[in-house]
Amino acid sequence: MIIEGTFPFAAPREVVWELLQDPAVLAQAIPGAKRLDRVEDDRFEGEMHVSVGPVSAAAFSVTVTISDKVSPERFTMTIEGKGPLGFTRGTARVELHDRDGGTLMKYRADLKIGGKIAGVGQRMLDSVSRTMTRQGLEALNREVQNRLAGISVGATSRSPAVRWKLSMVLLLLAIVVLILILRLA
Amino acid sequence: MKPAPFEYYRPETVDEALGLLAEHGSGAKLLAGGQSLVPTMNFRLAQPAVLIDLNALAELEHIEPDGDALRIGAMTRQRQVERSALVAERAPLLHEAVPFIGHPQIRNRGTIGGSIAHADPAAELPVVMLARRARLHVRNRRDARSIPVDEFFTGLFATALGPEEILVDIELPAVPPSTGWAFDEVARRHGDFALVGAAAVVTLDDSGRCRDVRLVFSSVGDGPVLAHEAARQLEGEIPDDAAVRAAAGAAAERDVDPPSDIHASAAYRRQLVRVIGTRVLARAVERARNGSVS
Amino acid sequence: MTSRRFFGERFTRNEDARLLRGLALFVDDVHLDGMLHVAFLRSDYAHARLISVDTAAARARPGVVAVYTADDLGAYWQPGPLLVAPPPIDGLVFNAATQVPLIKDKARHAGEPIAMVVAESRYVAEDALVDIVVDMDPLDAVVDLEAALEPDAPVIHEQHGTNLASHVVQQKGDYQRAHREAALIVKRRFHYDRGVAGALENRGVVAQWDARCEELTVWDTTQAPIPIRSGLARMLGLLESQVRVIAPFVGGGFGSKIMMFYPEEVLLPWAAMRLNRPLKWIEDRQENFYATTQERLQIHDAELALSEDGHILGVHDVFLHDTGAYNPYGLTIPINSQCTLLGPYDVPNYYTEFRVIFTNKTTVTPVRGAGRQHGVFVMERLLDFAAKELGIDRVEIRKRNLLSSDDFPHNHVILFQDSAPLVYDSGNYLPALEKAVDLIGYDEFVREEQPRLRAAGRHVGLGIVSYIEGTGIGPYEGARVTVEPSGQVRVATGVGTQGQGHYTVFAQVVAEVLDVDLDRIHVTTGDTREFHWGTGTFASRGVVVAGSACHEAAVAVRKKILGLASDALGVAENDLELEGGRVRVKDAPERAVDLGELAVRANPLRGAVTPGTEPGLEATAYFGPDRGSTASGVHAMIVEVDRETAMVEIKRYVVVHDSGRVINPMLVEGQIQGGVAHGIGNAFYEQLVYDDTGQLLNASFMDYLLPTATDVPRVEMAHIETPSPLNPLGVKGVGEAGAIPTGAAFAQAVEDALAEDDLEIREIPLSPNRLFEMIRDARATR
Repeated sequence: MIIEGTFPFAAPREVVWELLQDPAVLAQAIPGAKRLDRVEDDRFEGEMHVSVGPVSAAAFSVTVTISDKVSPERFTMTIEGKGPLGFTRGTARVELHDRDGGTLMKYRADLKIGGKIAGVGQRMLDSVSRTMTRQGLEALNREVQNRLAGISVGATSRSPAVRWKLSMVLLLLAIVVLILILRLA
Repeated sequence: MKPAPFEYYRPETVDEALGLLAEHGSGAKLLAGGQSLVPTMNFRLAQPAVLIDLNALAELEHIEPDGDALRIGAMTRQRQVERSALVAERAPLLHEAVPFIGHPQIRNRGTIGGSIAHADPAAELPVVMLARRARLHVRNRRDARSIPVDEFFTGLFATALGPEEILVDIELPAVPPSTGWAFDEVARRHGDFALVGAAAVVTLDDSGRCRDVRLVFSSVGDGPVLAHEAARQLEGEIPDDAAVRAAAGAAAERDVDPPSDIHASAAYRRQLVRVIGTRVLARAVERARNGSVS
Repeated sequence: MTSRRFFGERFTRNEDARLLRGLALFVDDVHLDGMLHVAFLRSDYAHARLISVDTAAARARPGVVAVYTADDLGAYWQPGPLLVAPPPIDGLVFNAATQVPLIKDKARHAGEPIAMVVAESRYVAEDALVDIVVDMDPLDAVVDLEAALEPDAPVIHEQHGTNLASHVVQQKGDYQRAHREAALIVKRRFHYDRGVAGALENRGVVAQWDARCEELTVWDTTQAPIPIRSGLARMLGLLESQVRVIAPFVGGGFGSKIMMFYPEEVLLPWAAMRLNRPLKWIEDRQENFYATTQERLQIHDAELALSEDGHILGVHDVFLHDTGAYNPYGLTIPINSQCTLLGPYDVPNYYTEFRVIFTNKTTVTPVRGAGRQHGVFVMERLLDFAAKELGIDRVEIRKRNLLSSDDFPHNHVILFQDSAPLVYDSGNYLPALEKAVDLIGYDEFVREEQPRLRAAGRHVGLGIVSYIEGTGIGPYEGARVTVEPSGQVRVATGVGTQGQGHYTVFAQVVAEVLDVDLDRIHVTTGDTREFHWGTGTFASRGVVVAGSACHEAAVAVRKKILGLASDALGVAENDLELEGGRVRVKDAPERAVDLGELAVRANPLRGAVTPGTEPGLEATAYFGPDRGSTASGVHAMIVEVDRETAMVEIKRYVVVHDSGRVINPMLVEGQIQGGVAHGIGNAFYEQLVYDDTGQLLNASFMDYLLPTATDVPRVEMAHIETPSPLNPLGVKGVGEAGAIPTGAAFAQAVEDALAEDDLEIREIPLSPNRLFEMIRDARATR
């Protein structure tokens, strides 16, 4: 499936970029991230466990590899996730553009989803992916506004060593995994 | 297709159920009619550690008048709602909508509260609740509160119910005079999840203009979708055929942002919103004019 | 033959008393002491290399008795047999690849089994599936039939170096000449998509090894218990007499249960012997969507050459057929498509070519209709388009091309699925078409009703199509008929029964010869201990072939009865008649003897018999026809389309059917009604949706839509009886007929209803979403 869209952040690109480097911010917007470890420079492995609505799923293990990274403009993620309920494979591409004094994020993920969740979850797939993407991005935008107003969630100083891409990975991962898990009614 | 192991409780009072819910927290699921939860568990997509079965709670199974309003206990079976003379009299929209839910076997088991709390965007009952401005009465171990329906459905399968709260009672206000209603849906087969469902409630003033319009759709968003723009266009106007068509068109273009799936594209769903939006509004207006409800 | 009439009567079914009271035995009703339960771990991927399987954690789970992978099977791991050899056609290409019991090197469709867990309960077995750690390397999948043949396509079966499973060309006459001489060429592309068989009862196997008797008993939902018995004996190194396969009552087969040596069918008996414990596996509905064979995807590029007055000069058809991951059933389906396309028409020139393609989807084997749908769809649609272009009424163009009743036997030259030339044995097509025209009220509808309703803004349309169906093919079946000393009659035959009414119709066949009340005739099917020669229930052949064997056996028993009675009553055989379980003297009915008494005489316990005398009132007979008999019919329907919602309602459905002599009209009508339901499902509701990685996107009855009772109209039926000369009963098959022409009739009717949109429907199924798009696109292009 293709998940694509744009999202306007009411903040300059640099602010958005910086935000995306902050894992603590993202963690707040992302339920169910249990673990995410950097195993190589551009490769991450993690485990997610999310429960929403009637669906509560077992853990998914996820591997993400970053490529085509042009800071602070764009990057591509190759995603592989699997668990007892199925798997996902695919790529996601994220771009940031200046737009009217703010930032326009363009995202496009092409994900193949298989196994049990592919077979029984189609009715909800589109709604879930759109809802979760929107909710995640709206949460980020709120944080952008907080920062512009000088209010911080107080996590920006934590984990300075964690790179921006980890944060971005978390965001997109969450979207991916939520899609995976939420699809059944 | 066998569920993963779980602990099972069958409380006999609401207080006992609330105590269990507080004790087991987010690992627990409430079992009402089980028409969505049980298949989800059999697919192992839901693997609750604890199942709290509400089916012994006789106190939540009732249909009774409350002044001019109507109260329905959350564990009342959909089939009981369907066959209730009181519901037919005081909540004709609900009466008209219930037969669209699944099949008789499903309604024999499925409950009104279970469907509302589940908040499936394709479900009929949330649409009716929103169209009829229901109040949802909920309890936790210590408190009780009532939630206006406009605040109840908060997203995909999401409601304003707290983690330790149980929906106990549904309150439907009296239908004002000169009010008409209609429910309809398009489904592949009778009983399937609707491709689009719609409910309309229209109240006319003495001059035949729309005083109040509630038009709600299923299967076109995260939950039941209230068509604000359509209502705004009609209110204060004479709801002739052109106005009704225009309002449904506005709903299709501006009030909904429907999903695509293997059964229906977003474009097809918009078309269905336009078509059955028109049909339910027209029927509601006709009933309002005929004074079907006094 | 007898004084009472047993043929042509609506006898209620002998089996219903047991079925309706819940007393019929289905495989899942078998409960044995110490029985263990089996679950299978199946591949999530449609195409992936298997790197490793770690079953240690699963083995360690309490309640788990054994876990097997391909490596554990040793020499028992073998691909299944090729069930149907390709016919001897010149230049034919056939690359065989048959299913394996458990994946060894790679998965070739989603749901292919990787490991088998045996546990104390199905719950524990499914818990243990989660414990198994599988490492697989996903490969690009082959899904699209045309892309599958591109040079850079991934290859599913490396040994063949191509995804081409087969290539066949058959010809009759000279199509190119027909093309040159034609006044009109109608050329179109047609799609017919995939669905499931959708039996109410999924598959199931119970296997029990009795170590003391050295006997294996297998309860199996198969349509073919005898070949399963023979195959298991061979694979397990047992005598055939040591293996008993029972296909008890089975809740629908529709073809998918004729597919033999499914992995589960092979593995349970092996593991039951190894563990010396009875094992049960019952397929759940989700497994069924992946693990039970399916049918129907074909893409046809077809053209019809016609004269100016609408006579068919020739047909040219080139098509692709999807066989899924394996092709154990040979070429039955695409050859049926080739042969059925010709329909009841006089087609002097025919060029037909197909390619069969391996894809990373569940294996394809026949499902009710077995390729015939496609042929009918293509031909009937081409005729519709031709009629429109030539300005000829659609019924008229069919009439002009029907074979006449003195054209039989009619040789179409090309080879049929049974490897015999396609020769129609008999038929009477025009009266059937005229009767359908009359019953549906064609003339009145077209002249009055439709214009009137159109004027009122309603979109109503009519579809009317003809078809033929090759049925009742060989090779053979057998039956044994025994009169017991009680006077009751036992009939045993090898075919399995899946709800058709065999217990009733075979009893009628025997009663017609012996004149015994139906409730005193006890039929056994599908138990290899009772009868162990035969092939199975498929190709609309149960009554034609097994029924004829029952008849032949009954005739032999009748001969014995008359011989003995002649001795007993001192009257010549010619002066005797059978009536109500007795033999009596024609002119002196008070002089009579019970069949039971004759049965006792036929089995003397002392004394002497004439040398060569066979004991008992019993006979076994076999019947194999020269070739299949050709049934035919006409379907007509009236639909109303809600043009705004694109929903279609079937208002009326008429079937005029010729399946030769009708033994029990109620059973025939039941088959047709059920077949039409299946056909309506294929036409409007059912479609397996695969994505481009080979994932099935609607693997449940939530999203895969079977028509329900409220979606299927009561079919109005009439019978034409043109007896087949190829069997003693004069019957033809009927099990698949109802499902075959439905899509073609539906397409024509919907198109007719939407005449103002000038649509062409060239695909089946047609969902409302798709119809909405077609209406929208038609509007946009005008």
